[in-house]
Amino acid sequence: MDKKTVTTISYLSRLKIDNDKEEKIINDLGNIIEFVDQLNEVDTTEITPLTNPLEKTAKTRKDIVTAKNLKKELLEVAPSANEDYFLVPRVVE
Amino acid sequence: MISHKEISNKEVIQEVFSLINEYKDLNAFITLNEENSIKKAEELDNNPSDLPLAGIPIAQKDLFCTEGLRTTCGSNILNNFIPPYSATVIENLENAGCISVGKTNMDEFAMGSSNETSFFGNVKNPWGKDLVPGGSSGGAASAVAAGLVPAATGTDTGGSIRQPASLCGITGIKPTYGRVSRWGMIAFASSLDQAGPMARTAEDCAFLLNEMCSHDEKDTTSLDNDIPDFEENLNSSLKEKKIGIVKDLDLSSLNNDVVETYQNSLKEFESMGAQLIDISLPNISLSVPTYYVVAPAECSSNLSRFDGVKFGMRSEDAKDLEELYVKTRSEGFGDEVKRRILIGSYVLSAGYYDAYYKKAQQVRRLIKNDFDNAFKTIDVIMTPTTRGPAFKIGSKGDDPIQMYLEDLFTISANLAGLPAMSLPNGNIENKPIGLQIIGNFLDESTILNFAHMFQNETNWHMYTPEGIKQ
Repeated sequence: MDKKTVTTISYLSRLKIDNDKEEKIINDLGNIIEFVDQLNEVDTTEITPLTNPLEKTAKTRKDIVTAKNLKKELLEVAPSANEDYFLVPRVVE
Repeated sequence: MISHKEISNKEVIQEVFSLINEYKDLNAFITLNEENSIKKAEELDNNPSDLPLAGIPIAQKDLFCTEGLRTTCGSNILNNFIPPYSATVIENLENAGCISVGKTNMDEFAMGSSNETSFFGNVKNPWGKDLVPGGSSGGAASAVAAGLVPAATGTDTGGSIRQPASLCGITGIKPTYGRVSRWGMIAFASSLDQAGPMARTAEDCAFLLNEMCSHDEKDTTSLDNDIPDFEENLNSSLKEKKIGIVKDLDLSSLNNDVVETYQNSLKEFESMGAQLIDISLPNISLSVPTYYVVAPAECSSNLSRFDGVKFGMRSEDAKDLEELYVKTRSEGFGDEVKRRILIGSYVLSAGYYDAYYKKAQQVRRLIKNDFDNAFKTIDVIMTPTTRGPAFKIGSKGDDPIQMYLEDLFTISANLAGLPAMSLPNGNIENKPIGLQIIGNFLDESTILNFAHMFQNETNWHMYTPEGIKQ
């Protein structure tokens, strides 16, 4: 774990690391990765990954609309919105 | 008392709020629902109901969306979020007559084992104001232990119901993955998260679980298996029942008192006719490192929705959209949440995906296979819930791995999707500690029965902190 890696994953995570916390973050992440590296000692050849304890594919349901239209309620809790849309700072100049 | 009209529903609810106010220095609640709760209680007094949990005051973890009632998940980023709908669990409990008196404090986004990561400050343990209540459902555990409410909801991704239950001296159960709907629960790690009840006794947990479980079409991982009456199996004999003792767990690093308390409980079960059987779970020591790949990976993906656009807080001075995302997330999330998002992004990134994420999922299967094999010959598995009783606020310092190891005994049940619970089984230097019982897939009834039978024979669940009215 080094500064360059942390810069890359911070960008991927859309997080900015404050300068005064950078050294601690690099150190903590390095320790955590070193801790989980013990998984490499296990032979997992031909073991199928387990993504979910139920191992069921998502169930389908009847094609009937059950969702309520909450447009007004959802726009009301947005930080910025007009009657129809969420508003964000200008994207295209 | 209510049915004999010795006390009204309204008086009960008023007493709850008076206690919450009296013990507000515990910081167990983030938001209270006083006006609404009293209104509901008055309605019940005017129109008595025969609903199974009519008038029961319940504290809801602040991770469940509650319509019209602020839901923060312990985070600054949801500081102002008022959901337009309620989680299925909340609807189920309220439809059964429960009155949701407030939202309990918790580690931010349920990431923590001491309630120290909450944006709204530490929760204190009623057993000692300098002690943590555990986490992440720390507010829930503290509120029940202090007698502010008889029941609370919690969620458990790696031990977040069982560990605080152990540290506060109460009973809590994490059901089988899929038993309780996750719809309206703010997601941390979707393949591990499961909601469950926290209360004084196993019997109360059974009453609550009866109402919390449902098959929910809105959650594609919700199971449609039959839901038993969890109360029905309580009081079944433990004669010839087999308790698995994990010989691979090294208890030598634990405090002697913890080991002795655990062994005394095993003897108690033997005296009720149960047998102890040595079992092997050879990969169990890999549970914590497996979890700290899988959970951050899922969290980094789930928490990408918090971007300041559709709900929650938004940074005020962003000049463009990209900066809006970065500033909102950087100002809104606390250090532990950021740390886990970063780890998640790392293990999912190109070049590391196979080495970490795929590898952890393969080890996860080995851990689950170990449990499947063990349950061919036994009924339940028992371990201590925690490595020790409640520790002091701030004592784990700045080292995240020390905190992660708090969940050493609890994490494997989440990885395998199995039901597991914690119940009080002793006191060490006037601090409670818990016993963990892990059950087979969908077999909550058996672990609840083991816990109930233990509570018939012992009084640990009745111990209360000094200076707390009960």
